[in-house]
Amino acid sequence: MTTILGVPSAVLYGQLLLGLINGAFYAMLSLGLAVIFGMMNIVNFAHGAQYMMGAMGAWFLLNYLGIGYWWALILAPLAVGAIGIVIEMLLLRRLYKLDHLYGMLLTFGLALMVQGMFSDWFGSSGQPYSIPQALMGGSHLGFMFLPNYRAWVIAASVVICLGTWYVVERTKLGAYLRAATENPMLVQAFGIRVPRMITLTYGAGVALAALAGVLAAPIYQVSPLMGADLLIVVFAVVVIGGMGSIMGSILTGFLVGIIEGLTKAFYPEASTTVVFVVMAVVLLIRPAGLFGSKPEAAQGQPQSSLSAPAPSARTQSLIFLTVAACLAAAPIIVYPGFMMKAMIFALFACAFNLVAGYGRLVSFGHAMFLGSAGYVCGHVAKIWGLPPELAILAGTATAAVLGFVSGWLAIRRSGIYFAMVTLAFAQMVYFVALQAPFTGGEDGLQAIPRGMLFGLIDLSRPANLYTFVLAIFLGGFFLIMRLVGSPFGRVLKAISDHDARAQSLGFDTSRYKLVAFTLSAALAGLAGSTKAIVSQIASLTDVHWSMSGEVLLMTFLGGVGTLYGPLVGAFIVVAMQNYLAAFGQWVTVIHGLIFVVCVLAFRRGIVGELIEFWHRRRRAPAATQAVLRKVAVATKE
Amino acid sequence: MTDGAVYALETRGLSREFGGFFAVNSVNFRLARNSMHAVIGPNGAGKTTLFNLLTKYLPPSAGTILHDGHDVTRLSMPAMAKRSVVRSFQISAVFAGLTVRENVELALLPEHGLAWNLLGRISRHRGVLDRADALLARFGLSEYAETMAGSLSYGRKRVLELATTLALEPKVLLLDEPMAGLGHEDIGRVTQLIREAGRGRTVLLVEHNMNVVAELADTITVMVRGEVLAEGSYAEVSSRADVMAAYTGQAHA
Repeated sequence: MTTILGVPSAVLYGQLLLGLINGAFYAMLSLGLAVIFGMMNIVNFAHGAQYMMGAMGAWFLLNYLGIGYWWALILAPLAVGAIGIVIEMLLLRRLYKLDHLYGMLLTFGLALMVQGMFSDWFGSSGQPYSIPQALMGGSHLGFMFLPNYRAWVIAASVVICLGTWYVVERTKLGAYLRAATENPMLVQAFGIRVPRMITLTYGAGVALAALAGVLAAPIYQVSPLMGADLLIVVFAVVVIGGMGSIMGSILTGFLVGIIEGLTKAFYPEASTTVVFVVMAVVLLIRPAGLFGSKPEAAQGQPQSSLSAPAPSARTQSLIFLTVAACLAAAPIIVYPGFMMKAMIFALFACAFNLVAGYGRLVSFGHAMFLGSAGYVCGHVAKIWGLPPELAILAGTATAAVLGFVSGWLAIRRSGIYFAMVTLAFAQMVYFVALQAPFTGGEDGLQAIPRGMLFGLIDLSRPANLYTFVLAIFLGGFFLIMRLVGSPFGRVLKAISDHDARAQSLGFDTSRYKLVAFTLSAALAGLAGSTKAIVSQIASLTDVHWSMSGEVLLMTFLGGVGTLYGPLVGAFIVVAMQNYLAAFGQWVTVIHGLIFVVCVLAFRRGIVGELIEFWHRRRRAPAATQAVLRKVAVATKE
Repeated sequence: MTDGAVYALETRGLSREFGGFFAVNSVNFRLARNSMHAVIGPNGAGKTTLFNLLTKYLPPSAGTILHDGHDVTRLSMPAMAKRSVVRSFQISAVFAGLTVRENVELALLPEHGLAWNLLGRISRHRGVLDRADALLARFGLSEYAETMAGSLSYGRKRVLELATTLALEPKVLLLDEPMAGLGHEDIGRVTQLIREAGRGRTVLLVEHNMNVVAELADTITVMVRGEVLAEGSYAEVSSRADVMAAYTGQAHA
């Protein structure tokens, strides 16, 4: 048997083939993302769900209607593409003038809804889809065995990629598309119906994802979550390649697949994380991406910031003391376990809000801080047997270091790219947690001791534990309140309004962003460590991307950029989890629905809308008077 | 090196290329201390690019930039601000989510050692508050102090931007088309503010409004196609035939 660098050549070729196959799917999906993004400036977070719908569609066609692979290859993309067109016309159309992040949030909500519904329907375990008769078997190439279906997937994906490239770059239709990307108004003035073109582009991009899904069905298991994890890797591919060019997306997709395959052959432990490492290196060397020539897409209208100035310091202290008193008294009527869980998540959401709300750095990966701090805290308390205060300190410090490193890389990009980079780093942390020896893998760390705080206070007694959690929450919240109200908070807000202007006034803006991100990570870590002590478990749930989604949900529902919004949002979301647990997967659907409704109808969140309402009412009497006077004058004339 | 030979800003062979096109082509430009210097030129002459190079908003493709005789080509925008070289923006740049008073206070933070104060409150620092009050009064913004900057009229945003810039007491003030988008009633007022601001400091402005240039500038540089065509007083520059040719069709007084 021949070996190459100590690896049997058959294994190497096998992994290379697998890498090429994965690369084919990365290329097809990142291509669709690039086409959609180029046209509509929306990062289609539902892309993974639409890919899954393609595979599911093929499965349903076969198992319920007896329609086979070849027809599915046409029917499933058409059906999913049609759904995409409806989504564009009903929902996405309303977002074009807003900050690009809203498109990402809305499609994230859609993805949650679709995945939740399919999980309820289908169950979350995978189902096989058999290879069509015509493509069974394979051929011996001498140095390896090549299954026919795999050869077909590679050939088909190359044709699909090059075909799309040809249409966009070499045809008249493509020229219109590219022109409309540059200047939609002008193209519209030439008599081309740009809105319809946008609708069809989205439909086509979505159909492309579904087509990839059908191709994937016989290779990977068909399951409701098959697209979610894949999409995160595709985001990393997009960051590596840059979304500016079609050919760039294709090449990067295949390249990343091959790198992954090679890693699997030579150093299998790193095969799940290598993509993210490559992304980090590219961010360091060429922040715009390998093929990214387009400068950072201009931001649309910024989020509807509050038009009301902050209340006075005195009012703020009063509100804070009232909230503290309510939380302290709450266990009399509310189950303390619920209160503690809600306060921990509230601290997590407030920490997230520090960067997302005040620094406008919307991270899609904050779970990495919550989860990794939980693991470290649990490990220190359980294995090293250290007291809880040291365990929490260790967890918080870990999150801070992780925040510093990931932030240092991520703040090289802004807006949607920042979101994708943080999501990708969090996924890397997830894979590390899944594989590392000390995290307990799928089981997590269990029976973490609560211990004696400072050697004096027994945290296993419920009253002590509650007081302890309350103190941590109030301390963390107070710190955030002070940070937001401080000169530093002012600078942070100014940077999120106008980065270049803040620089011209002498503020080193990336340093401020990094400090804010590190502080936010540390506070999220404080929440995660406390969670580990209270729940006595540190598990994969807390590092999973869905946790990053949950903190986004809490913050946006309650009111991003408001002090108390995340607190309100956290209590609502935790209450939903507790009281709607019986609905199973439908909770995810409801989460997704809340995202969609928030983005479409109330972007300020509950607390933000309340503040607005309050101020409008206070201003209203004067305005009404003025109108009445005008009416009186008009009637006199 | 005698003090007189050193310029507030000086460029040597400064170029900036955009995909094969030289927006600024090997420009040697000198900004004398305490002068009120205007850069003019027809659209696409490279004025704004030169301005963005001088203010470090864009990195140059070639050449050097000197400030007070020191090479500052590689410095960042914040580093320039720390050397007391501060710019304004063409599209009025205020912090929309802060009140008018908060905008001005922001610029005062570094000087009062508060730029990295993470837990304090600005309201406890009398020095910042008093200076902000004085600036707001000087620029006629006192009655808007608690208004969100984003909801000001365009003209007032301009005035606020100027107030914020001058809060830094910059030695070199770089103004990017300060009159752009202003109505007649505001132009006189902003011109007066710039004239006052120019006392005892160096001012460079890029401007299209020739009345304003004639009124304010003691030195004028005319740029055409990325290069310097002429330099001198308004009378000298406006009497040259080549300048007129480059400007044909452009209204001037």
